[in-house]
Amino acid sequence: MNGTEPGSRLAALYDRLGIYSIAILLVVVGGFVSEEFLTGRNLLNVLNAIALLGIVAAGMAFITYSGNLADLSLPSIMAFSGIICVAALPLGLVPALALGLLAGVAIGAMNGLVVGRLEANPILWTLAVAFFMEGLMRFVWSNNQLYPDTEPGTAGAAFIEIFRTSLGPVPLLVVVMLLLFFLGHGLMARTRFGLETRLVGSSREAARTSGIRVSRVIFLDFVVAAFAASIAGIFLASMNKLGVFYLGKTYDFKAVTAVVLGGVMLSGGRGNLAGVFGGVLVIGLLSNILTFLGVNTFRQNIVTGAIFILVVGLHQLRLRRLGKDYA
Amino acid sequence: MEGVSKRYPGTLAVDRVDFEARAGEVHALVGENGAGKSTLMKMLAGSFDDYEGRIRIGGDDVLLHTPAQARACGIGMIYQELSLARPISIAENLLAGKLPRRGGLWLDRPALQREATALLERVGLSLDAQLPVEAIDPHQAQLVEIAKALGSNPCILVLDEPTSALSREEVRRLFAIIGQLREEGLAIVYISHHLSEVFEVADRVTVLRDGRKIDTREIEDITPAELVRMMVGQEIDEFYSERTASIGAPVLRARELGRKGFFHGVSFEAREGEILGLAGLSGAGRTELARSMCGLDPLDEGRVEIGGRVLPRGSYAEVMKHGLHYLSEDRKTDGLFLRLSVRRNLNSALIREHTRAGLHLTGGEESTTTAWMRELEITAASPGVDVGNLSGGNQQKVLLGKWLAAGPRVLVLDEPSRGVDVKAKRKIHEAVIALTRRGQTVILISSDLPELVGLSDRVLVMRQGHLIGELTKEQLSEESILLAANGEPVA
Repeated sequence: MNGTEPGSRLAALYDRLGIYSIAILLVVVGGFVSEEFLTGRNLLNVLNAIALLGIVAAGMAFITYSGNLADLSLPSIMAFSGIICVAALPLGLVPALALGLLAGVAIGAMNGLVVGRLEANPILWTLAVAFFMEGLMRFVWSNNQLYPDTEPGTAGAAFIEIFRTSLGPVPLLVVVMLLLFFLGHGLMARTRFGLETRLVGSSREAARTSGIRVSRVIFLDFVVAAFAASIAGIFLASMNKLGVFYLGKTYDFKAVTAVVLGGVMLSGGRGNLAGVFGGVLVIGLLSNILTFLGVNTFRQNIVTGAIFILVVGLHQLRLRRLGKDYA
Repeated sequence: MEGVSKRYPGTLAVDRVDFEARAGEVHALVGENGAGKSTLMKMLAGSFDDYEGRIRIGGDDVLLHTPAQARACGIGMIYQELSLARPISIAENLLAGKLPRRGGLWLDRPALQREATALLERVGLSLDAQLPVEAIDPHQAQLVEIAKALGSNPCILVLDEPTSALSREEVRRLFAIIGQLREEGLAIVYISHHLSEVFEVADRVTVLRDGRKIDTREIEDITPAELVRMMVGQEIDEFYSERTASIGAPVLRARELGRKGFFHGVSFEAREGEILGLAGLSGAGRTELARSMCGLDPLDEGRVEIGGRVLPRGSYAEVMKHGLHYLSEDRKTDGLFLRLSVRRNLNSALIREHTRAGLHLTGGEESTTTAWMRELEITAASPGVDVGNLSGGNQQKVLLGKWLAAGPRVLVLDEPSRGVDVKAKRKIHEAVIALTRRGQTVILISSDLPELVGLSDRVLVMRQGHLIGELTKEQLSEESILLAANGEPVA
């Protein structure tokens, strides 16, 4: 390849800006598709629409970064923390929120223990946990949706307001997402835990012989992912004004797509949360543009799936070309 | 092969090389790491579809763009790392891809057994072909690997560092088999860093340096010194410089260490500023002992003390804090982070030191990186390149640098110069000696006898999981170690 071909120039741009080059491209395309696209209100809409996904993806990124591919139990963690939170509302809003978070984190801790210490396959283990949790939730609550008491003045009324609160024009949900990305980025890039996660993700064995407590690092990665998913789950329950086992469905795959789009390598140890935010943004912009074009949700799923396949395929191809498929 | 070249992004790994192997000869291919030996042989194995130049076999031009094409042209490859499927039987490994069938669909078990046994006999193994590969010793696995390559009836057999996991006795058996294959008329290309092996087994030798061919010679017409000169471009006269060790008080004490099935009743001391060698045949339990001492593997009995304090069991992170560090045997699988930079690797044992209140500070990393890259003469385009892109010698220097940077009291070196070139090895030895000058202790596990003899102040000999003897500096020689490791009395 020489630098003058348009294809390689695009590749060079992609290397520099990563996923944001695609985000910029989509903004330009969006501007042509609709005059309403480039308004502040619509862009805020985009952020609001991707916020839940963003929170889950920020947590999921730690799993992928640590070389454990994906936590497929995150949707069930979202549903579980939502249900527990709604069920605990009679105790008051704050205890309910705390219990909801705790319930989600507990599942993450169990995953972390089993994958970290017992070295279970992360995909199969979390798939089993997701299956088990769905069954458990359906059994305990007899397949029912759980509604909070929304009489004015009750904790339930305050609970459903969480999703509907705004700080000025910006929804609380968006603020929380941005805050989590900011903190998560620092955690991943600037702390000992983040660096150790990177080393574990690059080579579990080499990390062990470098004196890193591998099982503890992986444990914490699963806890972080579950914590983020629990927050998303509580917002989701607040949005729907109910807690039920199926809230959170499809967030596992969408989150992994955002993480991989954002440049976190599936093999672990490469990438950062700034990229993941870009990945989430691209999914949001794309979905927004498709909506303007009148494409329905199911067809949008086809597009998201196709993009995932394309990105992973191209990425692997590039690595092979560069002779970087060692390891 | 005539005028063949292979370009990687940024480097010309093989530069217009002519190479010829005749039927019925063993042709050694030598050169430092990064000289292009492996790349040249990968070309022959059909790993690249973009090499330049011509390759002819038996007078016909052939195109070797895929491994299947190479196999069809009669090329058999045996790599340093084994390529056998461990849970599968030897027989199925040997005949993978061409399992004998009956009625087009069913596996023909008797035929499988027959063909597999015949192949094993060609390499002098009388094993039950039904055993899974994981049930046999590494040296037997190496021979099975050769048998597998023979299964496709090659006319050219390439062996890339086949002896790196073998003990002396096993190497001798391997050479006998190579000699026999040569009699059968195969052309054998033998890649090795061990010059003694080259002189023992080869008929001709070709030297590569920096991707170019230097010369091809008959083995009778060349001396080891000349060969080394051709490889490095300059003569290395005194390989092991004399050193006067100033050995101090005991710093590490091991008492009655045992791990079931691996080693038992091992007690010894290591002193400040000492290089304590640990000799033994492969499988004697040396690596296992080191890993258990450091808490990487379980330790069932006994205790290890450093400076009078007993080390905790089972947690390498805790053991490291006491100053006992371990440079692992295999840099590719559990030593280095191949996909991370030189900088990241050199600092990977220093994370605790670079952390304040959970925050990782990068300030110290740059100076550590610069200092050790200079000290060990690590050749890399920048500290930011992936370690996986470096040559073997530079990779090994990075691995050593990582542990030197961590400042151990006692450093266990497990095969610190395996598979590296002469110059890198020399640099590694200098750094090890410099370490002991500062009063730090080294425990050296090595199958490279000249290295063990040249560096050690004292050598402990292990055999079948037991410490069976000790050799003082005066008693040390390659012969005495070999005798002791084989359980023979030392004169």
